[in-house]
Amino acid sequence: MRTIKLPDSIELPTILDPWDQQEPSGPDATGIYDFYKNLAKGELTTTKCKDCGKMNFPPGIICPNCLSDNLEWVRIPETGELYAFSVMALGVPMIIDTYAPFVVAIARFGEYPDDGVQISGIIFDSKYEELKIGDKVKWEVVEIQGPGEKKRYWYCFRKI
Amino acid sequence: MRNVAIVAAGITKFGVREASWKDLVQEAGKAVFDDCPNLDKKEVDSLFVGASQPERWVYQTHVAPLVAELLGIDARRVISRTEVACASGQAAIRYAWLSIATGLSDVALVLGVEKMTTKFMNLSQTCMVNVGNREFDGPNGFTAPPFFAMVAQRHMLNYGTTKEQLAMIRVKNAKYGSLNPYAQFQKEVTVEKVLGSRMISPPLTLLDCSAMTDGAAAVILVSEERAKDLTDTPVWVLGGVQSVLHSHTVNQMGELSEWLGLRRAAQEFYSLTKLEPEKIDFAEVHDCFTISEIIEYEELGFCKKGEGGKFIEEGQSYIGGKIAVNPGGGLLSNGHPLGATGVRQAWEVVMQFRGEVPKERYVGGAKIAITHNLSGMAQLHHIMGYSIEKPKEVRFGR
Repeated sequence: MRTIKLPDSIELPTILDPWDQQEPSGPDATGIYDFYKNLAKGELTTTKCKDCGKMNFPPGIICPNCLSDNLEWVRIPETGELYAFSVMALGVPMIIDTYAPFVVAIARFGEYPDDGVQISGIIFDSKYEELKIGDKVKWEVVEIQGPGEKKRYWYCFRKI
Repeated sequence: MRNVAIVAAGITKFGVREASWKDLVQEAGKAVFDDCPNLDKKEVDSLFVGASQPERWVYQTHVAPLVAELLGIDARRVISRTEVACASGQAAIRYAWLSIATGLSDVALVLGVEKMTTKFMNLSQTCMVNVGNREFDGPNGFTAPPFFAMVAQRHMLNYGTTKEQLAMIRVKNAKYGSLNPYAQFQKEVTVEKVLGSRMISPPLTLLDCSAMTDGAAAVILVSEERAKDLTDTPVWVLGGVQSVLHSHTVNQMGELSEWLGLRRAAQEFYSLTKLEPEKIDFAEVHDCFTISEIIEYEELGFCKKGEGGKFIEEGQSYIGGKIAVNPGGGLLSNGHPLGATGVRQAWEVVMQFRGEVPKERYVGGAKIAITHNLSGMAQLHHIMGYSIEKPKEVRFGR
């Protein structure tokens, strides 16, 4: 009988990696790479339309409101308000489960919805019981280390 | 344009099944053809498969022709697979209805299926994060439980809804689920049991949540001309709508306790069908979480906005109340195999209209029913109406 020998281990692509679009070039490159470049510089930013004035999130290469491609990168106001929150402890997606349990929240920054955003984020440094709707929060940038030598960036919320 | 009827329905047992995706397809397919002995399956000219993530849960794509092969169907008019996450099944029924009503198809099989439990449940859970925006909400762990927990938190803040009222939804649906032999969960529960079950994402406990489930369901839709040879108990399609308010990411959702997409879908639906909530005898709605059913009462117009909690507390959604909601046990009892759920709801409508359900969960004398599905983080809503009486006119829109 012919035998087909497979390798001792099979390396799978990191299809579950939620930060896989942070490469500036190559097949995973994204037209909104500035979002990640700005995160690396410590800034949470998004695109704002210079024609209709709408601040959009997530950022894009056109404005979904008026379809203009005349956009600018703007910094999301640093302090905002806690809008809703809960806890993620069970059934946490892989990779993210390495830092569960955590408080998951929605906060509003700026003048939502026209000139501000309502975004999701993790709160690492407060317990669920310590939070209430309306609390002042700020966003801050997080460094994601690994796998291997990789260094990438994301953001989280902190109660102030 | 012509009237369309469901003439057959079949279902598998829902649950954690020792069965493959293909087994589920064959089980539900055999059940639906067994339900319609007068139909030669060679007559099936169109096939609509509702399936949400076979690519990720069972690593299979191009599933419509696979279903055709598994059931020996030689479809030649429309062969398609629909994917709108949790509403994939109802969307498949809607497109089958449109295809027959316009004359493109005569006999259509709709089959909804999902295999969600796998050897790697954390991988299965990870698939759910992709229903939201995986790049922007995914890294924050945004799956359905924390999202709907926040919906509940906002509804409690804005309208005074209580955890006890949430629990009462599960109590009702567990009661009817206990009478449904196909349901994943067939045990009755109490408010105390719901409140005391394991906390998942506060304020939602384990029993406030529907489960990840394996299952399949199928229905056969035919034109008015074909219906009369096939069954004495056709279930007529009154029409269906779907509505999305350009929202997918959290930023577009506005106030979480207001489901404007569903409010607009309901307006469209009542305008299309010339129905009003008072004329509906029962509704199979998308209770993926207890809070969902409460908001659905409100947005579907069964009660005033903000009074969904009171509506269940008064028992208005039990059989014998203002409107029976989820007499089949809902997603909470049946489990929620994404692609199968919408078709399972249609199966329930057929069984109810025929009176083929246990009498304790039978909505006697029912003439009109609706099914509702939301998908993802409640961004998209589907509603379909069914009648035991043939509609006088076929309507697509205003």
